Amino acid sequence: MQRRINLLDVHYTVMVVGHPEERWLKVEAGEFQSVALKSMKDGQGIILLGEQNVRMKMAVKGETVYIRAFDRTFTLHIVNPVEQAAQETSGPGNTARAPMPGTVVEIDVAVGARVTKGQSMMTIESMKILTVITAPRDGEVVQVHFEPGATFGKNAALITLSKKEEE
Amino acid sequence: MSEVTKVLIANRGEIACRILRTLDRMAIPGVVVYHSVDADSPAVKTAAESVEIDGPTPVAAYLNVESIIAACKETGSDAVHPGFGFLAENPGFAQRLAEEGITFIGPQPSTIELMGNKVAARSFCMDNCFSLVSSVTEADAGEDFAECARKIGVPILIKAAVGGGGKGMHIVRELDGLDQAIQLAKGEALRSFGNNEVYAERYVEEPRHIEVQVMADHHGNVVHLGERECSIQRRFQKIIEESPAPNLTLELRQRICNTAVEIARKANYLNAGTVEFILAPDGKFYFLEMNTRLQVEHPVTEMVTGLDLVELQLRVARDEYLPLSQDEIKAKGHAIELRLYAEDPENDFLPATGTLLAYRLPAGKGVRIENGFAEGMQVSSAFDPMLAKLIVHGRDRNQAIERALKALDDTLILGVTTNIDYLARILSHPAYTSGQIHTGFIPKYGEDLSPPPLSEEQRNLLLAAAALNSREFTDPAFQVPEPYASLGDWRN
Repeated sequence: MQRRINLLDVHYTVMVVGHPEERWLKVEAGEFQSVALKSMKDGQGIILLGEQNVRMKMAVKGETVYIRAFDRTFTLHIVNPVEQAAQETSGPGNTARAPMPGTVVEIDVAVGARVTKGQSMMTIESMKILTVITAPRDGEVVQVHFEPGATFGKNAALITLSKKEEE
Repeated sequence: MSEVTKVLIANRGEIACRILRTLDRMAIPGVVVYHSVDADSPAVKTAAESVEIDGPTPVAAYLNVESIIAACKETGSDAVHPGFGFLAENPGFAQRLAEEGITFIGPQPSTIELMGNKVAARSFCMDNCFSLVSSVTEADAGEDFAECARKIGVPILIKAAVGGGGKGMHIVRELDGLDQAIQLAKGEALRSFGNNEVYAERYVEEPRHIEVQVMADHHGNVVHLGERECSIQRRFQKIIEESPAPNLTLELRQRICNTAVEIARKANYLNAGTVEFILAPDGKFYFLEMNTRLQVEHPVTEMVTGLDLVELQLRVARDEYLPLSQDEIKAKGHAIELRLYAEDPENDFLPATGTLLAYRLPAGKGVRIENGFAEGMQVSSAFDPMLAKLIVHGRDRNQAIERALKALDDTLILGVTTNIDYLARILSHPAYTSGQIHTGFIPKYGEDLSPPPLSEEQRNLLLAAAALNSREFTDPAFQVPEPYASLGDWRN
């Protein structure tokens, strides 16, 4: 089984082979190492990988795994192959996305408007804090996804700019 | 003589639970009001009686004065504890309760009007010769506000005239950004507090935020319960508070506390209140604002004084005399409060949402928890993102820090991004442990406070843990029966 796993905004290709009694894992182009999860109880377990073993606290929801280890708390997301393909074709940088869930307060640009990098396009509110959404680059507004007053979730597309123009 | 025989709590979350506890101990029945999103919250589950209230948004429900008054009548509550936030500093609410013959557990409406409005409070302090930093109000300057603000010189702080919690506050370091900061502050002030009035003041660099808990009864007695150090802030909002304040001389501490008592006395203050000061590095201190209510961080004062502030509030509301004189109030040891927030310190402290898949809070010697959530609950963007408060007490500051670190290590919150690891890094920072703190601590030590880097081994262990926790990876249907036989095919 091979999937990409997102950790701290980087995608890693992870492959696991074997059967429940004996598994091997490989990250990117590294070597296969034996891997196991032992003594899982109350969300706490020991991960064995090659020669190493570390106690971690874990919780899972869908394809997201939350882990507390190494004095930090991590969110790892196992990328769904369909989602992955979609992201690769649309490409980043065309769309300003919501950094957090909230409400649209004000829209400063209309479809067809030319914007320059850093120009304010929209003001959003989340938990009583106002944030100005600025243009990620120069471009033309092709879609404004919400009306003032509308609510949206984290990562929702707010404003889409035209595809990067060829010089 | 005011009757306080049944108390309605016009609030939610951890503070509603905390007030219920004292009411229970004093054998006074407590009632909570709640919006449907909070129906499964510990506060509603703990309360013997609860009344659902509604509004266009969950926050609006808790701000609906008339439905809260209706809930008082329905349940026969003769007093209201407002907690903090929502209607706690709304003089109109206190006034409406008075008209209905319901006791508001807090100061008189006129005092809230005077001291709860930052602009009015500042001019009151100026008239009474208490020190303030130079400032200009929109109310005084009118259309020339931006021009007058410009004359203060950078850095300038723009603040909402009413409210708190850092909403509507912006620092301007270059005059070019002044107009935008004023507009943003006005917009936030209007949305958060229903009033878009702002003011500008000279921003003191590396100041400390020191505040004093005061308590006053109907019989002219005003006492202070010592100071709290609240300088560790992000987005102008406190995340770590402690008492006593570290590295203050006894003489300076007394001057600050006595000034707070004088201000409360001058304002004919009643019930619990907090006088906030800015302490400059040169030892000069300036009146900042007064909070005419119980504060989020009141437990640190309770931990060192051994007093229950909600009990004192209830007694004062019943016209009783304060049970202690100033000489009888003694602070013992050191207390630290950590605010556990659903937010991402690695992403400018943006609020986080999600489901609390694991939610385990610590217990132990010298540890106190104030909590409004439970495992499985949703953290939504409807309210302030504070999940719980973790308060520790130790014989001295070092022991309190040790206990706080242990308590954070024993805390487990998964499913929603929180600041618990970040709080541990602050507590471990040498500038914090030596008490070298000021309100610019977080930006100043930003780099030191960023998470420790991950080694390649650690990264692989995490990826392994994620893979083994994923059904997709471990589902037998996807297994390759002969791993060794197949390995060769994947080597390249």
